[in-house]
Amino acid sequence: MTQMKELSDAIISGNRNKASEIVSAQLAAGVGAGEILQALTTGMDEVGRRFKNNEFYVPEVLIAARAMKTAMGLLEPALVAAGIKREHTIVIGTVKGDLHDIGKNLVAMMLKGANFEVVDLGVDVPTEKFIAAAQEHNADIVAMSALLTTTMPYMRETVNAIKNAGLSVKVMIGGAPVTQQYAYEIGATGYSADAASSVDLARKLCEK
Amino acid sequence: MDREYYLNLAKSGISFPIGPDLVLKEHVDHHEIMNDGVRLGRVVAEAAERYKTPLALPVMDLLLEKAMMLGAMGELTEAQIPTWHFSTCPTEEQVAKIRKGIEGPLSRRLQANVDAVRYIAKQTKLIPVGMSIGPFSLMTKLVSDPITPVYLAGMGVTGEDDEQVKMVETLMDLAVEMVLRLFKAQASAGAKVFFIAEPAANKVYISPKQMAEGSDVFERLALKFLRRIKAAMDEAGVDLFFHCCGELTNEMVQGFASLEPVVLSLGSSRVLWEDAKIVPDHIVLYGNLPSKKFYSDDLITIGDVGKACGEYVTKMRATGHPYILGTECDVLYVEGCEKTLMDKVMTITNYRSHSCGGQNSCGSCQTAK
Repeated sequence: MTQMKELSDAIISGNRNKASEIVSAQLAAGVGAGEILQALTTGMDEVGRRFKNNEFYVPEVLIAARAMKTAMGLLEPALVAAGIKREHTIVIGTVKGDLHDIGKNLVAMMLKGANFEVVDLGVDVPTEKFIAAAQEHNADIVAMSALLTTTMPYMRETVNAIKNAGLSVKVMIGGAPVTQQYAYEIGATGYSADAASSVDLARKLCEK
Repeated sequence: MDREYYLNLAKSGISFPIGPDLVLKEHVDHHEIMNDGVRLGRVVAEAAERYKTPLALPVMDLLLEKAMMLGAMGELTEAQIPTWHFSTCPTEEQVAKIRKGIEGPLSRRLQANVDAVRYIAKQTKLIPVGMSIGPFSLMTKLVSDPITPVYLAGMGVTGEDDEQVKMVETLMDLAVEMVLRLFKAQASAGAKVFFIAEPAANKVYISPKQMAEGSDVFERLALKFLRRIKAAMDEAGVDLFFHCCGELTNEMVQGFASLEPVVLSLGSSRVLWEDAKIVPDHIVLYGNLPSKKFYSDDLITIGDVGKACGEYVTKMRATGHPYILGTECDVLYVEGCEKTLMDKVMTITNYRSHSCGGQNSCGSCQTAK
């Protein structure tokens, strides 16, 4: 098995010690940061695929994301030195009044794993904060999560405020009570039913 | 109470939602009511009467226990508490303060809940129902990332090996003490039934893959603590109404059934007529109409609710399992959707008295209009 395949497998199994070991060894051996990054991303893509197929559950995804985060910590200086930047930025948060963060965290981790720059605003995020962060980071996408039927309407308010502010940013939404129909209704650009699909959606929205 | 009571209740064909929040929010001063046990008790009684159930189900707010525990540390403002979490194991000093807080006076809201139970017990003929979040769900609300340490615990990592696992174990011990404190207070106030809402003990937090591979994590971190509470309930002669609306595996449902609740209430991700095969016949199944969608007529119309009532009752009747038609969870008030929410929950309440099965075409429907 090649080292890169082993690295992808370490991410898939959530073995952060193994992943760190391989990243350090590969960097020391002069392997390009881009190639290492590709192996990490391949691992997270596979995690996403297994999650979609119900072979993996949320805990497996989080453990894989933890390994990814550790490995990326080691890789980051080499990426900077090589001038490799993430192409797209996503600002993400759970809407105002809603303190649920598991779904939002999962999406953020999957997006990071797919090599998006992710600015996580946390929970209970007011409209102004989404707008300010989108402007500050020149975001491509604003991603909003809501778990409660009572907080979901705040998505509409934020979408309207983003439009009124004249931002060209795309908006994707998700969360237990949210539907594709709701996304259409409030004028969001896209809706994702789960964390793994959010990566596909974000890639699609960034292509447009 | 005798288990037969609940079996007979199911046999009588009763149907009702879990929906006191909708009735509470009809009162303009609902914020004040939540802090006043007698007035809250009156609202709980009003809801039970409106929904035509003898069970006085309380208003569900699963954030109160966390607030009391963190408040006891004396380090956070009231505004900080909802978004504050442990990311490391609490210090010995913090643990001691929380423990002292649990043993001390209840917070105003929790005391009002206890006083509401007392009101129901003394002033009405309804069955007083106490309520608390379950210990596992409470722990998940206290920790910034509960899933990773729970997974590590499932791999066999102990608190001695890992600081994150130690955090979860420490907070589980405190969480169960908090729930026991609430149980004892409500039982002393006259609760005959104790409603435990354990929505987080589900496959988002606990890996079914890990369980299938032989891990005892579900037993060790969820059921073991619930068994402690159930033992205290048995000693006090109080019945368990167990509720989990999270996504569950069959093994999780069977685990909850092993707690011997009188009623088991599950979320709409479960197919109750399938669960009837794995839940013993002496446990009444309750639920599980998709009430989280009730706020929207685009997602589910009142006609759909009526049809679903018919489908659920017919399919459950075919299983022969004792069953009460109801909602998948507490139906929460959504501003601007009050009428459709109430119309839909009342469709459930009135279902059995309608010859049309809630299809809006019989005499009872016309009277209701």
